[in-house]
Amino acid sequence: MIEIRLHGRGGQGAVTANEILAEAAYYEGKYAQAIPMYGTERRGAPVTAFLRLDEVRVRERDLVHNPDIVVVLDPAIAQRPSILEGLKAGGLVIANYPHPPERFPLGGNFRVTTVDATAIALETLKRPITNTAILGAFSKVTGLVKVESIEKAILHRFPGTLGEMNVKAVRMAFERTPAPIQAVGGVKEKDEEGPLSGSGYGLIRSAAGWRTFRPVWNYEKCTGCRICWIFCPDNAIGWGEERPTVDYRKCKGCGICVNECPTKAVEFKREEI
Amino acid sequence: MSERITIKQIPLEELVITPGSACQGCGAALAARLAFKALGPNTIRHSIPACPDNVTRTPTSGGEFEAGGDHVTGTWRALKALGREDVQVVGFYGDGGVYDIGFQSISGAAIRNENVFIICKNNEAYMNTGGQVSGATPQLAMTTTTPVGPMSRGKPNSRKNTPMIFAMHGVPYVATASVAFPTDLIAKIQYGKGIKGFKFLDILSPCPTGWRFEPNKTIEVARLAVQTGFWPLYEIIDGRKFRLTYKPRELKPVAEYLKLQGRFRHLTEEEIKEIQRDITDYWERLLKLDEIGEILL
Repeated sequence: MIEIRLHGRGGQGAVTANEILAEAAYYEGKYAQAIPMYGTERRGAPVTAFLRLDEVRVRERDLVHNPDIVVVLDPAIAQRPSILEGLKAGGLVIANYPHPPERFPLGGNFRVTTVDATAIALETLKRPITNTAILGAFSKVTGLVKVESIEKAILHRFPGTLGEMNVKAVRMAFERTPAPIQAVGGVKEKDEEGPLSGSGYGLIRSAAGWRTFRPVWNYEKCTGCRICWIFCPDNAIGWGEERPTVDYRKCKGCGICVNECPTKAVEFKREEI
Repeated sequence: MSERITIKQIPLEELVITPGSACQGCGAALAARLAFKALGPNTIRHSIPACPDNVTRTPTSGGEFEAGGDHVTGTWRALKALGREDVQVVGFYGDGGVYDIGFQSISGAAIRNENVFIICKNNEAYMNTGGQVSGATPQLAMTTTTPVGPMSRGKPNSRKNTPMIFAMHGVPYVATASVAFPTDLIAKIQYGKGIKGFKFLDILSPCPTGWRFEPNKTIEVARLAVQTGFWPLYEIIDGRKFRLTYKPRELKPVAEYLKLQGRFRHLTEEEIKEIQRDITDYWERLLKLDEIGEILL
């Protein structure tokens, strides 16, 4: 039995990716089990999903505690040591990360491969929804599920142009993913941001990992009208000395300030990893 | 009636602890931030099951879905017994809790004219549990329980006019607000704070996840809702005196508002025309009320 854990952020489709993989495996005559994990996580917050694949009927019903493979849909989450929790020795990490596997920040007794799924998603879907792209990488590296089966499952779920755009993303990721290497990054033991899964209601923690894009202020254009400040839902924009200041730990990257600024003094830049 | 303020008069003090667990671009989180800015720290907050918005620094308690009105009543009566009549008791509930499940208890509190402030963060569906239809959902909107398909065009009936229902209870203050008009929202709460008795404020809080638009469009959508007459801003005093607080010379076509959102993507030109007719009709009636400054009932 192969056990897989997926990490993503709400809205990136980790749960959907999980179900598509299960369906694709089913087309190949395998037994599959997809388990979503719901807390009070919202769009943008870290989410987790679990998958089991086997040639025989799967009896286990628990969450996956010791995965063989960890799939990460988001570059900010890929940096966090929590993703390695319970990973079997010699296991595999498939991460959405903009740099080659040699530059993957975590190290240990596991193999790792990376693909810039965010760039692929922005290119094909025009939105940072990385779930289907990462499946192309999964198929290429593990060979557990054929890319044709994944495409069939995607087209079954999203008929029409949406499905075709997603299939394009899968193929692009399939081509661009390099072979996994032994992880060489530094070993970080502690995750400073608290748990990745489980209920996070009322928990005070950083939202920095929620962003795909970061708002940046050009103070030369800023007139001090306070519009960005008043419309920030997360109180990330402070008001000091007649101009806005930003606390990026609070900013979820929703982009309201970018959209509302009357002088276009706020710009959206892709988050650098 | 509430007094007009400018953006520079909005208090700088923040009562929210962020980031909360609300989605990116959450309208309800912004509604909480703005509302508690105006309410000030001398406030007790009650919650019933709803989307997470912003955690506030005020004393907070959670209760049963159907008992929102009872909850605030009990708190206010206890404060009165202690002689602390200066404290604001606020029920900060979602539209499911105000329009549907919790309606009876809040209606009871309104009839008894309890000295409480009920604020509804209205995102027009049960967004907390995956976007099921609520009494606040507008006609023909797609939700997960009113999907669009061969047999269905979205929600079949029109939304419940809850602000008017509360006004008909004869309570001291009822108003509607939108997160895109923060000065108006804050002025209304500051005015309501000064009144003894039951206050109700219905804040339209767009939901990027449930209404299906990009999180950066929250304010744009909320503003268009008001500018098209889809969500008129008004206030009613003692169930009688009426005033529109936003009155443009001409409304924008409602299509501009509908086309921004995925929940209305399936609408045909004919259906949009029908919605436009309903809105124009209602707006004209409100204009007449505004002219005489009174609800004639």
